[in-house]
Amino acid sequence: MATTAPQPPPALTFPRPIFAAVSPHPFLQAHLSAAKNKSLRANGRTAREFRVPGINTGSLTYCNGSAVVRLGNTSVVCGVRAEILKDEDIPGTYEYPGQTAGEDSDDEDEGSEMEGLRLLVPNVELSTGSTPSHIPGNAPTTYAQTLITRIRSLLHSTRLLHASDLRILYRSSTNPEDPDTEAETQLKGYWVLYLDVFFVSIDGNAFDASWIAILAALRDTLLPRAYFDEEYEGILCSDDPKEAQRLSLRGLPISSTFAVFEGRKEDDEGEADWVLSDPDAFEEGVCRETVSIVVDCEGGKKGTKDLVVRRVEKSGGGVVGRETMGGLVKRSIDRWGEVSKVLEGKA
Amino acid sequence: MVAPAVTLTHLNRADGSATYTHNDYSIIGAVNGPIEVQRRDELPEEAAIEVNVRPAMGVSTPRERHLETLIHSTLRSIILTRLIPRTLVQITLQVRSLPEEDASAGVNTSLTLLPHLLHTAFLALLSASIPLLTTLTSVLIAIPSSPTTNAFPPLLSPTAIELLRAKPIRSIHVFAFAGDGKLLLNESDGKFSYEEWSEACQMAEDVCCGEDEEEEGGVKLDDGEGAMDVDAQAQGENLEKWLRSVVMRKVEGEQRWKSAT
Repeated sequence: MATTAPQPPPALTFPRPIFAAVSPHPFLQAHLSAAKNKSLRANGRTAREFRVPGINTGSLTYCNGSAVVRLGNTSVVCGVRAEILKDEDIPGTYEYPGQTAGEDSDDEDEGSEMEGLRLLVPNVELSTGSTPSHIPGNAPTTYAQTLITRIRSLLHSTRLLHASDLRILYRSSTNPEDPDTEAETQLKGYWVLYLDVFFVSIDGNAFDASWIAILAALRDTLLPRAYFDEEYEGILCSDDPKEAQRLSLRGLPISSTFAVFEGRKEDDEGEADWVLSDPDAFEEGVCRETVSIVVDCEGGKKGTKDLVVRRVEKSGGGVVGRETMGGLVKRSIDRWGEVSKVLEGKA
Repeated sequence: MVAPAVTLTHLNRADGSATYTHNDYSIIGAVNGPIEVQRRDELPEEAAIEVNVRPAMGVSTPRERHLETLIHSTLRSIILTRLIPRTLVQITLQVRSLPEEDASAGVNTSLTLLPHLLHTAFLALLSASIPLLTTLTSVLIAIPSSPTTNAFPPLLSPTAIELLRAKPIRSIHVFAFAGDGKLLLNESDGKFSYEEWSEACQMAEDVCCGEDEEEEGGVKLDDGEGAMDVDAQAQGENLEKWLRSVVMRKVEGEQRWKSAT
């Protein structure tokens, strides 16, 4: 008879990727609570650290403007294509109010003009294999539709584009009714911008990446000079590249997304909730509460009293309250500085 | 602020239902659950939640998908999904009528609708007796633009006509609070500072949760007429009390068999 004592079973250990796959929540908590004063996430960033965006503009030839943006492993392509909406094709009975004197006086009408006529058409497409949860060949998922709605409403609520850039006006050389006075300016059409956002891969924070891509593509957009030709009686575009014009954007709103990781309290010491900047796909899978803040510090003001916030979206949980939000606004203002530098090409 | 009008459990095929009317927004909500879930959507440790928002006219668009996502993520933290694992709670919200001025007020129309949708969904869940962690109240705040600060006070739960009159609106905020005062959802849009946001949030918290804590909790059943009058008054300014009065009426109705004998 063998008399060897039974070996004590080896302690249960897993390699890192298996631990992450089997129990993602404790995995992230183990990472965050490992060091007392400086908690590192599973991806090596600190809780407040964003990923630095990489931006390439003008890489697509057949677009009026384009940008490729990388945010870690999230990579997204945005192309802006301009098409002409002719006067006679405008649905309904929209009346062009005529040239108003002030620059800002027609601000309010502009919004309804662009939104009502749908001059901006954003679309989001997830490519096959961009994310494991996306099944190719289906109708756009709820996720993609939600992204489109958020982008669309942000484009309109920040009034990023000037409607005057998109109008195609015409003033005839002679006035048929009264030859002595100048003819009235007529509206002959609009430029419609199709903003197509294509995700090559999604590793979290799709909204920020697509918004940066849209901003970069719009800044890169070059519209040819369109004019109404009297003899042809239609809109023609000039093929002289010198006459093409860039779009002028109103401000530079930049969005920052945070995810709230609710740790399970094991003992009473230490914080149990972490607000993670710029979550990746793994963190998004573990966190339920997300906060997106859009700020625009173009005027140079960065205080809590200044009108810098353009949008706050928070849902999914109750950890971020009034006080925490103040800190998050500050973090987004800092993020604005980083991203605007990259957009200007300074970093 | 006028308290919303509610009819609970009026659809007899659904497990729970509610019709909610406030400021000319009228929404019918129906809840089925817990019911069998499709294999694809089944979650091993918790209940799946499905939210369908149907617009007043036409078919649903990406806008409704966005509203559904918001309502879904809010309700997920309210429903005790772990008590009913591997089931489905299906919530259908049909917008019945919108105020005529809704589209012309110049603000994001999905935000003006959102608090009403949240209330309807919550009341329908209540009517279906789905296990809930806490209550949910939500409010809309609009800040009109003014040349000088504080010339126009923020509008609390404005009607569509009030919004139209106060045009242009500088920023608009939707807040939703849990029964314990936690901020569950916030959608803010426009141009505003953190201080303004914080003020609006405080204002919303006062309306949604109530400042006074003298209420001893629970639903009182044997209140005299005097208490009813107080409730009717308080409904005006406090959504939590309004919710209590709705629940009280529901429980009273369900206790009829007992009080009749």
